[in-house]
Amino acid sequence: MARRDNDIWWRMAWRNLWRNRRRTAITASALSFGFVAAVLMIALMDGMFEQLVSNGTRVITGQVQIHADDYRPERSMHDTMGGREGLDLAALVSAAGSVEGVTGVAPRVYGGGLVSSGDETAGAVLMGIDPRREEGVSRFGAAFVVGGMPGPGEIAIGNAMAETIGAAPGEDVVVVAPAADGSMGNELFTVSGVFRLGMGGFDDAYVLVELGSLQELMAMDRGRIHEVAISVDRTDQADGVATRVEEAVAGLADGLVVEPWSVFHEQLYFMTSMMGAANAIVAMIIFGMAIFGVANTMLLATFERRREFAVARSLGTSARSIVRIVVCEGLFLGLVSLGAGALLAAPVVVYFHEFPLDLSSFIGTYSFMGSAMQPLMTVEYSWDGPLVSAVALVGTGVASALYPAWRAIRVPPADALASR
Amino acid sequence: MRTERLWKIYPQDPRPVEAVRGIDLTVLRGEFVAMAGPSGSGKTTMLNLVGGLTRPTRGEVWIEGEEISALSDRRLADLRMQRIGFVFQSYNLLPVLSALENAEFTLLLQGVPAGERRERVRELFREIGLEGLENRRPPKLSGGQQQRVAVARAVLGEPALVLADEPTANLDSHTAEALLDVMERLNRTKGTTFVFSTHDPRVMERARRLIRLVDGRIESDQAASG
Repeated sequence: MARRDNDIWWRMAWRNLWRNRRRTAITASALSFGFVAAVLMIALMDGMFEQLVSNGTRVITGQVQIHADDYRPERSMHDTMGGREGLDLAALVSAAGSVEGVTGVAPRVYGGGLVSSGDETAGAVLMGIDPRREEGVSRFGAAFVVGGMPGPGEIAIGNAMAETIGAAPGEDVVVVAPAADGSMGNELFTVSGVFRLGMGGFDDAYVLVELGSLQELMAMDRGRIHEVAISVDRTDQADGVATRVEEAVAGLADGLVVEPWSVFHEQLYFMTSMMGAANAIVAMIIFGMAIFGVANTMLLATFERRREFAVARSLGTSARSIVRIVVCEGLFLGLVSLGAGALLAAPVVVYFHEFPLDLSSFIGTYSFMGSAMQPLMTVEYSWDGPLVSAVALVGTGVASALYPAWRAIRVPPADALASR
Repeated sequence: MRTERLWKIYPQDPRPVEAVRGIDLTVLRGEFVAMAGPSGSGKTTMLNLVGGLTRPTRGEVWIEGEEISALSDRRLADLRMQRIGFVFQSYNLLPVLSALENAEFTLLLQGVPAGERRERVRELFREIGLEGLENRRPPKLSGGQQQRVAVARAVLGEPALVLADEPTANLDSHTAEALLDVMERLNRTKGTTFVFSTHDPRVMERARRLIRLVDGRIESDQAASG
C-alpha cells in the first residue's frame, strides 16, 4: 500500500476509540488517575529521598568527601591526606571549590579525647573545623542554642554534653587527647557555644574545635587533615561532582580518594535504593492492574466489532493492518489518558510542592538512620517520575491492546459474518 | 471460477453437517449468476468457499487459474483484495468510515493513489445515485444507499468476481430493483462477473443463469430469462 495511505488505520483507530464515548471516558479516567497516583507517589518518594539524603548529608558529612585512601574505615589519626607530610591545604580547598556544582568545602581533623569541667568528664569526638568554611557544608552553624562557632582556643559542645559535664559558654573546660607524636595533648579551652542538632550520637559526643587549635593539641602540622567535606547543589548529582573533584585534586597528593555520599553513607544509600525499588514495584503494580483492566475493556470492544474485522478481512485487509488498528486504539487511549492525567497531575504536584503536608502533629519529629527527619510530605519537581509514568501509561495502552489485537485477527471471517 | 468435488463439512454434535456436498461448478467471466435454494441449502457456504473466507473440507476452488484452497491466509487476503468483491446481506459497511471512505477501501488496499481513488468513487457514485452522500457515515444512510455503497466497494477494485450474499434481502422492492439495475449495468459495462446467493424472485428473474441448490448439492443449473 502507498505509504501516504497508512493514515487510514490511524483514522479508523481514533474514530473507533470514540464510538463508545462513555466507555472510553471511564477507561481513560482510570488510566489518568493511575498516572496521577504514580506521578504523585514518585514525587512524594523523591521528596522523601531528598529529605532523607539531604538531612543525612547536610547536617555533618556533606555529599562528597576527600580522604587519604587508607583513612576509612579505621579512621586512624595518622592517616592524613598526603601522609605524614600533609599537603597544601589552601590549594586543595581551592581546587575542590572551583569544581562545578560544589557549593562548600570544609577541611576537618578528627580525634578522640576527654572533655572535663569541674569533676565531670565525658568522652568526645573532637572535630577540628574551619568555622567559616564549615558554615557552607554542615548545619552546626545554625544549630547553636547559645553562643556560636569556636575561634582559636575555643570549643563548641552539644547540649547533651553540656548538661553531662555542666559546662556553659564562657566557662573553661579541659580537653585531653592522644597526639600524633605519641604524646598526650591537653589544653584548656573556653566554651564558645552549645549546639543542638537533635540527633543522638552528636549532641552528646561531638565537640567542635577550631582547626588550628586541634592540630596543635594533636601535634599535627597545619597541612595535615583527615577529611574535606564538600556540599553540592543537588544531592542526586553527587556522583558526577565527585568524579570532577577527583580530577581537580589528583595532582595535589598521592592516594587521595574522593567519594560521594552513596559510598560513605552505605546504609543510607542502601535504604534509598530499597525505597526506590519498592517505589518501582508499586508503580508496576499500578500499571499492571491497569493493563488487565484496560485489556479486558478492549477485548470487549474488539469482540463487539468482530464482524467488522471479518468484513475488513474479507475485503483483503491484512492481519497486520488489523493489529495496527487495535494497537493504535490502545496507543490513542494511552495518549488521551496521558493528556488528561498530565492536566490533573500538574496542579496536584505544584500544590504539594508549595504546601507540603505537615504530619508533625501526628508523628512529631524523628531521626532515621542518623538522618533527622521532618515529618513533611514534600514533593520534588523532577522530569524522571512523570516521564517514566508517561512511558508506562502509553505502554499500558499499547500492551493492553496486544491480546485483543491477536484475538481480532483470529476471528474466522465466515463465522463472524454468519453470526448476525 | 471453478470448483471440483467441493465439500464442506462442519463438525457438530450429534453429527457433522454436510453444508456442501461434492459440487462441481464453473462460472465464466462476465456471467450474471444466481444461486437459489432454501435456507440451509449451502448457498452462503458456497460463496464463502469461492471467496476464500472458509476452507473446503475436500475438493478444489480455482479462481482465474489459481487453486486457492491451500493458499496461506495472507495470500488469500491478497487474492480477495485483488480479484474478489463481496456484497453482504446486511451491508456490512465499516461504521467509522464515510460512504466515500468505505467505497474506496479496496482501492486503498490495492495502493491506488488518493486522487485517482476519489475520482473513481465520485464517478461511480454519480452513476448509482449516491452523489452528495460521500461524507455521510453509514448510520446516516438508508438501507438502499448503504447497499449501493457496498456494491461500489465491491466493484471499484475491478475484481474478476463479485460474490453477493442475498444483497436484496433487507431492501424494499423499489430499492432492490434499483440496486439490481446498478449491478446489471456494471456487469454489462465492465464485464464484472456476479454470483448471487438469493431466494428473492426479483434477483432470479434478472439472472442469466440460475443454479438451484438443495441440501448442499446442485439440483439444477440452467440459463435463465434475465
